[in-house]
Amino acid sequence: MNLEKFLPLTETTFYILMALTEPGHGYAIMNKVEELSGGKVRTAAGTMYGAIENLIKQKLIKAVPSEDKRRKVYLITDEGKQILQLETERLKHLVLVAQNHGF
Amino acid sequence: MRKFKVFIDIDEEEKFLREMAEKGYIFKKYSYFGFYHFEPAKPQTLNYRVDYRMFGIGGNPEFLNYVAMFEDAGWKHVYGTKISGSQYFLPQHDEEVNDIFSDSESKRQRYIRLYQQCIVSLACAIIYFIAVLAINNFNLSSYLFQTPGLWEMGGTKFWRAFWFEFPFMLLRLIPILIFTTGGLCYAIWAIKAKKLFENKY
Repeated sequence: MNLEKFLPLTETTFYILMALTEPGHGYAIMNKVEELSGGKVRTAAGTMYGAIENLIKQKLIKAVPSEDKRRKVYLITDEGKQILQLETERLKHLVLVAQNHGF
Repeated sequence: MRKFKVFIDIDEEEKFLREMAEKGYIFKKYSYFGFYHFEPAKPQTLNYRVDYRMFGIGGNPEFLNYVAMFEDAGWKHVYGTKISGSQYFLPQHDEEVNDIFSDSESKRQRYIRLYQQCIVSLACAIIYFIAVLAINNFNLSSYLFQTPGLWEMGGTKFWRAFWFEFPFMLLRLIPILIFTTGGLCYAIWAIKAKKLFENKY
């Protein structure tokens, strides 16, 4: 799979993938994203549901078995982790360039 | 009370439900062909939010997961089934005015899903129509009137045979009319939904 096509990630996608390095259901992801972003990224239920659906289609996250009968629990896939790695390197480079220019 | 309305613009639908509640009619359920059911109550402000999602006959676990996620996030699922398409929500706490979408892209996606569903329904209507035609060798009149040699008969004999067959002809015609009308509606709705997601968001 050509992973480069997923880059750059939107802020929301980045935080969702980061949140799902540990398993969590939909609402848990909403809270985790808000927490990780320091309250900056607040995603409404419908938007989050669509984002999860999208990431599953792209195989960057998957549903994993859980004891909760109603709520599906999701987890990042290996591809998802590789994307996070690539994105982190891209961001590091951006920061480095910015620092070299006195920012 | 029942009201017949068809909305493609979901924002307009939300507005309509809110205005009905302000007049003292609380939305209870939506049945097919555009009937909204209301129950009288004291006038109140209810900020309905409508999503469009089809889960399909086998989509029960996903439907439950979807509803649970909205409930966890502070929404009450007022009406909607796994095959109703439209999903109606109200804030669990009346004072909160929030949206179920936090970006315009997910609002746009809602119209894209509605559009795709219209296209699927339109395709079903077309396939049905072609199938009926194909089964009858593309001769609809011999399918509707099946009395042998009917059109060669004359005078009283013709009319007697004609009116005898007429109710049976209607029974064969009505499904075709329903599917044709339905197909036309879905074609119009698909065009409207497409305009909305192309221009509005």
